[in-house]
This record gives sequence, structure tokens and C-alpha cells, in this order.
Amino acid sequence: MANRRVLVKRRKAVRNIRKITRTMQLIATARFQATFNRAVATRPYSQKLGELVADLSRASGGADHPLLRKNPNAPKTALLVITSNRGLCGGYNSGVLRKAVAHVDAQGKPVDVHMVGKKGVGYFRFLGRPLAERITHLADEVRYAEIEPLAGALMAQFVRGEIGAVHVAYMAFESASRQVPTLLQLLPLAPPPAEAKSAAGSSAGAGTQAVEYEFSPEPEKLLAELLPASVRMRLFQCFVEATVSEHVARMVAMKAATDAAGDMIKSLTRRYNRARQTHITMELLDIIGGASALG
Amino acid sequence: MANIGKVTQVIGSTLDAQFAEDQLPAIYNALKVDITRKVLGDVEQEVLWCEVAQHLGGGRVRAVALGSTDGLARGSQIVDTGSPVTVPVGEAVLGRVFNLVGETIDDRGPSTATERRPIHRVPPALDTLSSKTEIFETGIKVVDLLCPLVRGGKAGLFGGAGVGKTVIIQELIARLARFHSGYSCFAGVGERTREGNDLWLEMQEAKIGDTGKSVIDQTVMIFGQMNEPPGARLRVALSALTMAEYFRDQTGADTLLFVDNIFRFSQAGSEVSALLGRMPSAVGYQPTLGTEMGELQERITSTAHGAVTSIQAIYVPADDYTDPAPATAFTHLDSTVNLERSIADKGIYPAVDPMASSSRLLAPEYVGERHYKVARRVQQILQRYKDLQDIISILGIDELSEDDKIVVSRARKIERFLSQPFFVAEQFTGFKGIYCSREDTIRSFEELCDGKWDHLPEGAFMYVGAIEEAAEKAKKLAA
Repeated sequence: MANRRVLVKRRKAVRNIRKITRTMQLIATARFQATFNRAVATRPYSQKLGELVADLSRASGGADHPLLRKNPNAPKTALLVITSNRGLCGGYNSGVLRKAVAHVDAQGKPVDVHMVGKKGVGYFRFLGRPLAERITHLADEVRYAEIEPLAGALMAQFVRGEIGAVHVAYMAFESASRQVPTLLQLLPLAPPPAEAKSAAGSSAGAGTQAVEYEFSPEPEKLLAELLPASVRMRLFQCFVEATVSEHVARMVAMKAATDAAGDMIKSLTRRYNRARQTHITMELLDIIGGASALG
Repeated sequence: MANIGKVTQVIGSTLDAQFAEDQLPAIYNALKVDITRKVLGDVEQEVLWCEVAQHLGGGRVRAVALGSTDGLARGSQIVDTGSPVTVPVGEAVLGRVFNLVGETIDDRGPSTATERRPIHRVPPALDTLSSKTEIFETGIKVVDLLCPLVRGGKAGLFGGAGVGKTVIIQELIARLARFHSGYSCFAGVGERTREGNDLWLEMQEAKIGDTGKSVIDQTVMIFGQMNEPPGARLRVALSALTMAEYFRDQTGADTLLFVDNIFRFSQAGSEVSALLGRMPSAVGYQPTLGTEMGELQERITSTAHGAVTSIQAIYVPADDYTDPAPATAFTHLDSTVNLERSIADKGIYPAVDPMASSSRLLAPEYVGERHYKVARRVQQILQRYKDLQDIISILGIDELSEDDKIVVSRARKIERFLSQPFFVAEQFTGFKGIYCSREDTIRSFEELCDGKWDHLPEGAFMYVGAIEEAAEKAKKLAA
């Protein structure tokens, strides 16, 4: 049987693949640890900031800051999609992109899609959909300073009334075993999803015990500083979480791949051995048969 | 005065006989022995036919028994009939069932045929062969698209044990014989006796078109099934072929010849080969494997008088296509339909392997540019899917590029769309058999490759006819 050589060759190829996937699994694990710590570290700060902003805006009596203003009549909206630059991370990108596409289709008006990550850019190119911006230079460890201009540009557009809303589609990190493709409304600024319930209650004015603040300087002035900071922070948090999710997804995907490759090697080895044995048996039979026929 | 000799030796299904030195029976001559068997006091009389295979010298000949040698004794008288085995031919054999020596076995009295012909004949001469090439539409999508049968050509159905060779051959009988104007011959070679019986009963029920005539009235069946000794299985195909040849040469009608299973012919040959003192060759087969197959296959051919379209099932031992027996048969065929176990395992019937099956006809000059292109595209998509299979099984489908994802989804749909409900399998699948015209088949696959039906779920493509039926099925599934 000539397919023995093919089997050996395939087994070799699968072995090489397993080597790569195992390495990538280890790297992803290490990266995950680092980014996880970062995400956990920024979380309390961004949460507190969110609360503060919510409190302030309430205390200032439903302040009319441009970043809070709803603008349903704007000609279009914007969507920032966070995908990865690299592949081999299982369903990470497709989950986010599916969410993003569904959102775009549901809007009923043009959506400026700001795409982060090569994978998303490639997908939209494949779909033949336009992108307002392609951001592929962001490294694994996203810096706050890199996010600032991004958030700034979006806020400026929003304030000018060019876009009615800004959403972010990203993979929210809940725990190491659970990541959810999420659509977050960044602008107009809404309370962070974690406090959605209490905040929703308070904004409706239903009797919650609001903390009394004394403002200095004026709440409007304070909000003018704090709101943009909160938007930037929230966006930054999205990026950080997306990065963690990416590494988790890669870790899981590569583990599955390594296991699958292992199984495949096993079955290929078995098939090879069987083919080899069959071949030997057949040759023996031929020789013995021939010899006994001659004798 | 008949030429009478004596049995001198019996070895399994071969025997030696002594004749007068100057009256040696010729090779292939039929010999007759009367066997008297005593079973628990009852006496059974039987005629054993043999065929001379070798001259051993000294007036001795070695012959292959065409029946059971039980009860044969050394010293029995053996008569040389002076000619090879003959079988009745002509229209009188239609509707009857024979064994290889031309005796009826359907319990309806002897055949009324007046003419007999020897089963060993030379193949038609080169200059009488027909050069027509025409498609023989079967209405089976996968066959018509990827390995179209040739009218007046030879088609082989290759497959391991239990992948559905017999079902397909019976389906083809049901499809072709039913709409066929000429005659049909069926040779049961070394397969289950029960299958032959089922087929016979089925053919009596089935009607040709709307003429009210049974299919069996236009068909002759010849059986030498598993229970027969190797000599019978070795010659039964020739007997059937001889009858088919008569129809071709004398009536000029289009004749269909079904053989199930050609491998048993080679197998029977190898069973007697060692007994005849030949040294076994590769994998224990007879050294004359190629010659034997060639002698048989070269006679199955169309001439200027008439066409014989033959469809042969070929068992592939241990699913190994490199085995010498199927490999020798391979070269003689115009179209090969390979059945693949892994496809049957997925529950897709007919389990035709779209990559390995092929036909001489699948070229633009025969089937037309469009058919050819569609067939090649289908194969390309499936090939790509096959190439990606390893990646998918290791890394998962998410790692494929978007283009490849589409290829994979289409390939999976095509795979399923290649299935089709059969008329003869109605009681197993629960679906009515569907005839899909070649035009519909090509159009359906073309649209499928173009991505016009990407929105339908995979399940909708199972066991439907033309593509519109898949759309309907999708609606039903969704409801």
C-alpha cells in the first residue's frame, strides 16, 4: 500500500502543527496573566470614575453637557469594533464581528465603522463594506495615551453633531472561562453596564439616596473635565478587556488545537502501523504461498 | 460413437480424466459425468458438467468441474460432448432464469429456445466495433454529473463490502430496464442467492414504461451464486454474455448486461488456479488474472450491429483499490463509479466518491462545455474542502479565511446534495425515488457553486432531486 508514505508525511505535518500550537498556548497563557492583572487593576478606577460621573451629573440636576445629549437626528452613527491583529484565537473575532455587523444592519442609517485590528479589517474588506478608519497599529499592551486621540476624535465628532451615537463592539471579559461579545454605548454617555440598574433608577428620579456633594468649582465645570475623562477611561477599559479576552480565547483555542493534533497523531500512527503490518503480512503470504506452490 | 474416458483423479473442484491418446477432448470442451449419489438410501442422479482446462499428456486431461464434485468417484465414465458448454439463445430465453450450462432453474419447465451457442467465443474484430459515444442518462445526479455512463459502454461500480453496490445495480436495473426498449441480461456471479430471488420477484412486478409488460419479459437472468463451486462462478458471466451477444448480433437491439459481481469471477479463477497447478501471483491471485479478465471484458462491447451496455459491480476487498482484482477490471471500463465507505458512514447514499469516480465521457467534446465545467468546479470545491479538513479538525473552522469558509459550507452542501432517494430503496429511506434529468442536475450544481443557495441549511440538501426541491425542503424544515 502506497499510502504509508502519505501517512508518515501527514503525521509529520501534524506534529509540527502541534509544536506550534503548544508554544502559542504557552505564550498566550503568559500574556493572559499579564493583561489580566492590568485589567483587574484598572477596573476599580474606571468603575469609581463612572460612579462619580453618574453622581455628579445627577447632583448637577441633569446637567446638559454635550456628551450627555441625545441626538437621534444626526445623519449617522459610529461604531468602534475591537478585533485582534492576529488569528489563531478561535471564535474571538467572529463573535465580535457578528455582533458588529448585526448592529450596523439594525441601525437604519449609515454607520461609520472604526475598525481596530487586522482581522476585522480583512473581514470587512471581504464583505465589501466600507470602513471609516482602520487602526492596526495598536500593540498588545494598549496604552492610555494611544486611546486618547481615538476617544478625542470620536467625542469631537459627536459634539459637532455629525454622529448621533458611538458604540463599541468588543469581547467583554467576565472571567477566564467566560467572555461575551458585547455592544457598549459609549456616547451619549450612559451609566456603566455594571451599575445599570441602580443608575437607571436614579436617572428616573425614583427615590435613591444620592450622596450630597459640595461642588467647587461649579458642577458644570467639573463635568466638563470629568465626562471626557470618563469616556476615555471607559474606552480604555474596553481595550484592556478585549486584550485579555483575546489571550484567553487564544489560550483555549490553542489548547483545543494541541489536543486535537494529539488525537490526530494517535489515529495516524495507528493507521500507519496497521498499514505497515498489513503490508508485511501480505508480502509474507506472497512468499510463503509462492514457496509452497513451488515445493 | 461418443468419446468416452475415465475419471482418474478428483482434487476439489478439478478432476483428471483419461481418454484415448488420439481422441483427446479439446481445451474448453465440455465433459459430462453422471453422478449417482446415495443419501440415506435415496438415490440421486445428477449430471456434472466439466470443462477441459489442461492437457497433461498421455491422454490425460485436467478439467474444471462446473458443479459440485460430491459423489464423484474415480473410474466413472466421462463423456466428451465435442464442443464447449452451450447455452440457449434467442428471444425464447427472455423471461427465464438459467444456470451457467443453460438449464432453467425457475421451475417452469425447460426452455423452448431452439438455438444454442457455445459460451467461449472470440471477441468482435477491431473493424466491427462501434465508435459512437453517447451519454446514457440514469437520472441519478452524482452519476450523470461526475461519471456519466456511455451508451454501449462499460461501467463499473467499485466498492467494499456493504457500501451499496448491489443496491445501485438494482436501482440502475429499475431505472434503465424500465425505460429501455431493448433487452436486458442479468448475471448473478457469486453473490447472495437471496438477492437474485428478490430481483427476480421485483422484475415480475415492475412494468416497462406504460406498455403493461413486465420487465422480466424483456430480461434473461443467469445465476451462479455463492453456493456454487468455483467452476460455475468462473463461467456464469460468459453464459450471460453469450446470450447478450446473440441479442446484439442477431436482433440489433440495444442490450443491457448487468453483472453482479465481477470480482467473484476473478476470485473463482484464483480458487481453481492453484488446483490446476499454476503458481500464485501477487496477493495469491492466479497469474492469468489479467488474461482472464481481458477475455471476458473484450467480448462485452458494442459493434456496428448493436450495442451492449454493461454495468458491472466490482467488489473491492478490504476497501483496497490497489488489490489486483479490482485494479485489472478498472482498465476495461468507460466509466467508474467508486463507492466510498466514509461517505456511506455519513448516511449519504448513493455513497459515490465524487473525487475518485470518473468517466471517459467527462470531456467537453462529449458532454458539452457547461457540463464539464460544472463537474470540474464541483470537484474543485470538494477537493479544497478535503485539503482543509486537517486544518479544520485541528484548529477549528474559525481559523479559515472567509473565502475558505464559504468553500467549506458549499462543499458540505454539495456533499449532501449528491445524495438521492432511490426507487428500490423506498422502504429503507422512506423517500420516493426521484429521477433528476441531466439538465436539472447541471443547473442545480451550477447554481450551488455560484452560491445562489448559500442561505439554505445543510439538511435541506439531503435526499432531494433538483435544487428547487432543496428550497422546498428548507421551508419544511424551518416550519
